[in-house]
Amino acid sequence: MSGVVELQSLPSRPPHLPATLELSGIAHSFGGFKVLSDVNFAVPQGQIVGLIGPNGSGKSTCFNIVSGFLSPKAGRVLLSGRDMAADSIQARTRQGLMRTFQTPKVFERMSVLENVMVGLHKDGRSGILASMLRTPSARRELDRLRNTAEGACRKFGLGKLLDAQTGRLPAGQRRVVELARAYVGAPRLLLLDEPSSGLNTEEIEQLRGWIAMLNSEGMTILLVSHDMGLMTIADTVHALYFGEIIASGPMTAIQADPRVREAYLGG
Amino acid sequence: MNKLRRSLLLLLLVLAWALAPLLLSRHLIDLFVFAGLFTIGGLGVGLLLGQCGIVNLAQALFYGIGAYSSAYVTVQLGLPSLTGFLAGMLASALIAIAVGWPVLRLTGFFLALATLALSLIGNVLFFEWDWLTGGTLGIGGIPKLSIFGFAFDTPERVYYLVWPIAILVLLLADNLVRGRPGLAMRAMRDAAPAAEVLGVDMHRLKTAMFVICAMLGSLAGSLFAHYVSYISVQSFTVERSIAFLLIPVVAGSASVWGIIAGALFVTFIPELLSGFGDIHQVLFGLALVLVVTLLPDGLIGGADRLAQLLKRRMA
Repeated sequence: MSGVVELQSLPSRPPHLPATLELSGIAHSFGGFKVLSDVNFAVPQGQIVGLIGPNGSGKSTCFNIVSGFLSPKAGRVLLSGRDMAADSIQARTRQGLMRTFQTPKVFERMSVLENVMVGLHKDGRSGILASMLRTPSARRELDRLRNTAEGACRKFGLGKLLDAQTGRLPAGQRRVVELARAYVGAPRLLLLDEPSSGLNTEEIEQLRGWIAMLNSEGMTILLVSHDMGLMTIADTVHALYFGEIIASGPMTAIQADPRVREAYLGG
Repeated sequence: MNKLRRSLLLLLLVLAWALAPLLLSRHLIDLFVFAGLFTIGGLGVGLLLGQCGIVNLAQALFYGIGAYSSAYVTVQLGLPSLTGFLAGMLASALIAIAVGWPVLRLTGFFLALATLALSLIGNVLFFEWDWLTGGTLGIGGIPKLSIFGFAFDTPERVYYLVWPIAILVLLLADNLVRGRPGLAMRAMRDAAPAAEVLGVDMHRLKTAMFVICAMLGSLAGSLFAHYVSYISVQSFTVERSIAFLLIPVVAGSASVWGIIAGALFVTFIPELLSGFGDIHQVLFGLALVLVVTLLPDGLIGGADRLAQLLKRRMA
């Protein structure tokens, strides 16, 4: 227990970096079953923050609360100091929040390029009438979306797969498509939900490279993963256990924490 | 070369279309007119099904609203035909917003059942509100469509009107599907949570597409009323809604231009099979089962596969 106190006292939010995301007193339950209880942590701007925990520890619930798929029973979620309680999923996106899913949710019947173009939807203006009439501004906008998406595809090594049907790609490439799609919208905060799930060692290494690249470009990242190796990329890691944060700190310290070892790593 | 071949094919199609009324019997021209109407009405259902993943079984309601609006406005009020078109489309749009906004929060089978219920309610209202619709007696004496003094009073004239309208709405729909809203629609169809996260306002987009579908249904209904001059509740039953849904299903739901093939199928195949007497409906059902099972991507998908096969054989 004393180890936990020590770890929690580690600065998870360096004073010189304003918090992009802050969770304060978050609690949630399904029926009478408590899944999150007084969860507090911050994701400082420009950092990678990790969230680990065994199955059922509340990681996904936490993610769903931040991204707006669930409303917490108590507590606040602040993005750059602004409470997002009343914001819809789309409103959060417009404010710069983006997430991926544990099982990549790509648009299977669309091409890789089209998938990534949808990542720019929030930046578009042309509506139904303008698109029907193919007004010059709608055409210009579509060209711009296409060019930007194409650039993002090339950046993520998808240049040769632009016209490929995404549903026919292997799991690793789908994951990259999802990442490129999230990246292209230039989010302020990117939430990555188990991004290494279903990937082989080589693909995980490549994924690590992508995450490092995104972070080096200034993207703030909240990462949920079971993969301890991947988690070492995080500046700070929070360990969830039965809905409570039991430890916070750098991954090396988390791995050494006896309670985390007992709860998560099996002693 | 491909472009040249495509242009030649298009030219041949246009020529065939233009010359068809000179060569075809009155009955066949009638069928082509109906196929054009079903293309317009079926396109709305096709956009919802193929692009948004929404099964809409309410199209007969809007088809009826268009038809009754045109009939009422021209027969009872003595106003010009175009007023009926506008009234029908406006009424359909308003009703689509009013019912679509709550109903389109549903998904999958529940949404399909809700639209089926709308069609049933519509049919009951068309029957009960006889002061407006004539009930089972219907409304007769609907004048032939007249636009700026030009009367579309022969099947040939209507043929030359309906198909350009059908092609125009198909072109507009094709532009829409290729544009930014089209990308959002297909994203919503393939992975709704991801589309939502990327900023697609799904409920608004679904409602907007439902309104477009309703307006297309109404347009087809108005054209139908002026063409047949007599309408009754029997033309706007759930069976009509199912027939509209069959159009994109048979065509291959994601294909905009394939709607033409679907509309031709649901118009001509029952007619061809009617020679078999009482059994013709069973045969039509069998034809549908064959298309759906043997051609999971519809007629257009099947034609694509055949073309690819031929290309491979010839290479």
